Amino acid sequence: MHTENTAPGGRVSATAAAWAGGCAAWLAAASALAYEPASAAPGRINDPAAGWDHLWHEVIVDITIIGVIFALVMAWFLWRYRARKPGEVGTQSKLSPAAVIGWAVIPTFIFMADDFYLAANGWKLWNDYRDVPADRMEVKLESGMYSWDYTYANGVRTQNVLRVPAGKPVMLRMTSRDTLHSHFIPDFRVKEDSMPGRVTYLWFYPKAPGEHVVSCAEYCGVMHSYMAGKIIVMPEGEFKTWLDQEVAKLAPADKAVDKSAEKTADKPANPPV
Amino acid sequence: MSFNIKEWIFTTDHKRVGVLYLIGSIAAFGVAGIAAMLMRIELSTLGPTITTNPTQYNVWLYAHGAVMILGFQIPALTGFFANYCIPLMIGAKDVAFPRVNALSVWLFYVGIILALLTFVVPDPPDVMWTGYPPYSTITTGNTALYSFTVLVLGFASIIGGVNFLTTVAYMRAPGLKWSNLNIFVWCTLGAFVLQLIFVPVLGTAVTLISFDKYLGTHFFDPSRGGDVLTYQNLFWFYSHPAVYVIFLPFIGVVYEIVATFAKNRVFNHKVVLWGGIGGIVILSGEVWVHHLYVSGMADWIRIGQMVTTLLISIPVGLLVISLAGTLYKGSITFETPMLYALGVLFLFLIGGLTGIPLALTSLTLHLSDTYYVVGHFHYVMAVAGTFAIFGGVYYWFPKITGRMYNERWGKIGFWLTFVGVNIVFWIMMTVGVKGMPRRYYDYSAFPQFESAHQWMTLGAAILGVGFLIAVANWIIGAMKGAPAGDNPWRSQSLEWTTVSPPPHGNWPSPPSVDPDWTPYSYERR
Amino acid sequence: MSHEVGAVHGDHGHGAHWEWSMWPAVASLGILALALAFSFHFVYHQSFTAVITLGIGVVMVLAGVAGWTSEAMGHGEGLSFGAMGWFILAEAMIFVSFLGSYWFLRLGAPFWPPENTPEIPKVLPIIMTFVLVGSSFTMHHAEALLHQGNQAGFRTWLIITLAMGAAFLGMSAYEWNHLIHGGFSISTNVYGTFFFSITGFHGGHVIVGLSIFLAGLPSALRGQAEPGFWRTAGLYWHFVDIIWFFVVSQIYFW
Ligand code: HEO
Ligand code: HEM
Ligand SMILES: [Cu+2]
Repeated sequence: MHTENTAPGGRVSATAAAWAGGCAAWLAAASALAYEPASAAPGRINDPAAGWDHLWHEVIVDITIIGVIFALVMAWFLWRYRARKPGEVGTQSKLSPAAVIGWAVIPTFIFMADDFYLAANGWKLWNDYRDVPADRMEVKLESGMYSWDYTYANGVRTQNVLRVPAGKPVMLRMTSRDTLHSHFIPDFRVKEDSMPGRVTYLWFYPKAPGEHVVSCAEYCGVMHSYMAGKIIVMPEGEFKTWLDQEVAKLAPADKAVDKSAEKTADKPANPPV
Repeated sequence: MSFNIKEWIFTTDHKRVGVLYLIGSIAAFGVAGIAAMLMRIELSTLGPTITTNPTQYNVWLYAHGAVMILGFQIPALTGFFANYCIPLMIGAKDVAFPRVNALSVWLFYVGIILALLTFVVPDPPDVMWTGYPPYSTITTGNTALYSFTVLVLGFASIIGGVNFLTTVAYMRAPGLKWSNLNIFVWCTLGAFVLQLIFVPVLGTAVTLISFDKYLGTHFFDPSRGGDVLTYQNLFWFYSHPAVYVIFLPFIGVVYEIVATFAKNRVFNHKVVLWGGIGGIVILSGEVWVHHLYVSGMADWIRIGQMVTTLLISIPVGLLVISLAGTLYKGSITFETPMLYALGVLFLFLIGGLTGIPLALTSLTLHLSDTYYVVGHFHYVMAVAGTFAIFGGVYYWFPKITGRMYNERWGKIGFWLTFVGVNIVFWIMMTVGVKGMPRRYYDYSAFPQFESAHQWMTLGAAILGVGFLIAVANWIIGAMKGAPAGDNPWRSQSLEWTTVSPPPHGNWPSPPSVDPDWTPYSYERR
Repeated sequence: MSHEVGAVHGDHGHGAHWEWSMWPAVASLGILALALAFSFHFVYHQSFTAVITLGIGVVMVLAGVAGWTSEAMGHGEGLSFGAMGWFILAEAMIFVSFLGSYWFLRLGAPFWPPENTPEIPKVLPIIMTFVLVGSSFTMHHAEALLHQGNQAGFRTWLIITLAMGAAFLGMSAYEWNHLIHGGFSISTNVYGTFFFSITGFHGGHVIVGLSIFLAGLPSALRGQAEPGFWRTAGLYWHFVDIIWFFVVSQIYFW
């Protein structure tokens, strides 16, 4: 099951999701374990990394405004109402019933409006993260203490270094052979845990050639902080050459083995994903 | 006054139990603080600095996180403050079950002994305060110690909660209505309700990892049909509400201080109770998935709980408005407790508002498990929570000891800490946004952050000196401070109407109050 | 040890006497010993030390409970009934966590029960249900008699309740034994894990309930049963019985 790829962020659907999330929590969580990435329409690519920077900026402005307003009001009160002579007491009078309600309801609605605004934007970007472009390269990742083991569709395997062509979205289907790990690529603003018994995924959009750090972001044991790797984005042609060389090095048996591995990974037997 | 040792350590009196809680939790704070300093020193250079063994760092980090939360903040807030203040605030002579109270503080000591054994046993636990399997079930570290620490401290807290809920329900002074209870009492009751509902879930979670590890069960073992995510759900089902178990009492302490030093009525008292505290208690059980945004939970539940998480800003915002409103038309003075309380007011804004980006599932795909998160929760706990605790100790210090601390040193200590925490935890958030992952013994993959880490270590040294000054101030004040009088702050609240320090039984004759009395009615004087 | 609960002492506490009790400390340190025993045995494989610490722990916990009971029995403040309500809320949450985890797993599993699960006999749990639920009614009846001041009748029905509780435990032990000998244990698969831990955990509660009864039994036999104590004990017993419905329906019949 997955979030429908409808126009994101309607107020009604956001509230509905909130209630659904709150009420049926346990049961519902259980019944929704199986989920699959949605594929965005061919040719449509919403790069989440760019979206992230945009939304981050927006949210920081939002919370800074709120924080500064509150801080200024409080600072003003502190100055204005500092005690002038000893023995003085405050003179605030009791709120009228109308004021009590007003001071509860009006802020509630203002805050709620901001919350829904933020939720809608967050959801929109979330959909970009979860709708993997149809035109993508898929790589399988098995993480373990303490390495990242990638397997390309044609059976080529690499460790700790993932080479990808520039200009093509890359999707990782991830699992783990021992503890939790999290494949974190700061430059692409994305991470997702991998764990034994389930398959998770993430995708990113490398546009230009270059190198990017990968690090483990879920505590996985003694050498957690040394579990680093890199992603090398290569010009398309160079990547092809490299991949062909690697395929040539593969023994025929390996290729066959990898075909079967591919099938099970799509529908892992136990437990389901 | 004669000092009878067994009447202290075996005491069943709520005030002495409270003081024992205070001593234990401040000691725990000291040890966990030393672990923090060791980590900061270790991180001050790229690569190994003071230890070449990553496990050593991981053990410090485990001990720091677990002890700070379970051994310092929760016991200080729901152990010390609740014990010392609640019976006095409601005009009771003691709690409903004094022996259960003694059991609770003794179990607390057993819990911190178990936690501190981390530093001496072979193969200490290295599972972090979250204890996630499968690592916690395959490590050579002593996961059982983690499980038992959590269980014992959790049980201590549950029986404390039962005790206080009963006490407030049945032992209020004649004439004292529910709606006129101190806000601190309400906040703490809210926290206890959360503890009663959610601690058992945590207890189950940590029991099950020890079962899996030592008794051969398969709760979290996918190869036999188990599921690792079950643990994370159970754990956060408790540990998110736990942050409100910390938040509610500390904001209650801040209320008492702000109302007293502004000599003012609390702004919108009713809404604080029903909208603020009630809202938090109700919402806090529906947001735990925001700690699982990158863990592979189903998409739709991440979206649902993004919305509930954001909605928490409403009750918390109502509390902030009411605190700010309490300053309005007040008559404000700035003694040390008030400085700490104002520190909370300003810095909690930073901590709370930086939770907002984290609430957004999509932003968290980058932010989760980075120093940004570490910065966020240190602002809310290490800064706001600790300031509230320190401010509260200063505030009730004259009541507890009958003496006064040194005002000048109190202020110096405050300002040093204030500067220090902002250096450390602000920088943490900035490096986090740039990608610095948490729980890293060595950040060689990110050499660009070395100077930032050095600044953080410097800031930690400054704030450490500030805290030391505060603790020294209390010790010296308790021994030779000037006599303080019964009500040095001219507060209206009931605990100040008895002598300082209060005798066993609290009042020579039990108090009663008028129906229109409130702890914050200043203008009637 | 002092018993002056509620004595209000005079001015400024000078020379005043502060209450204290060492039994909570004894019991707590016993729990510390138990925790250490677990580590000695399972983590450090020092069985001898483990047995010693276990012995010390058990003795201290029992001494703590006994000392406490003898010191406090009859000095109850009459608030324990309300407190028990809160305590039960906490207890119920443990069962919620177990059952929640069970549903989470079960609903996500491709097939259920997992491989290697034998057929679990269904008749015994039905009999057990009748016995346990029946004991709730007998307990209720006993309380009602006590309320009317009928100590002798109370005693009879209390003993019947105790016997039914014990019978329930006996049947549970028989069933466990049967299954374990058939090769199905807590470590067979995740169903075994849940089956034994949930029924075991519920059985533990039955034992606690019976222990509370036993703690009050001496005074009941003397014809001095205290209604407040028995009302609270009865509340706990009813809770244990109600929880069984959830256990039996989820674990055996779903
Ligand atoms: C006392 C402790 C405390 C408190 C009070 C909070 C408060 C909040 N926290 Fe934080 N947290 C705390 C302690 C922690 N948090 C964590 C992690 C954490 C994560 C997970 C990050 C991750 O691991 O990926 C999220 C999403 C949040 C969100 C929030 C939110 C939304 C709030 C809200 O309650 C804040 C509400 C306050 C606000 C918003 C400011 C005041 C309101 C105003 C001024 C009204 C107007 C505002 C708006 C309309 C926005 N927290 C962790 C990490 C645990 C670990 O992994 O080890 C800890 C310990
Ligand atoms: C007094 C100054 C403090 C300093 C300098 C400090 C410093 C640190 C550092 C360096 C880390 C490790 C970050 C990492 O490697 O991921 C950390 C983690 C942590 N700190 Fe603090 N801290 C302080 C106070 C506190 C307080 C008062 C609390 C609590 C209430 C607290 C709670 C935590 C927690 C929960 C963690 C996470 C542990 C984990 O990842 O398992 N800290 N702190
Ligand atoms: Cu949370």
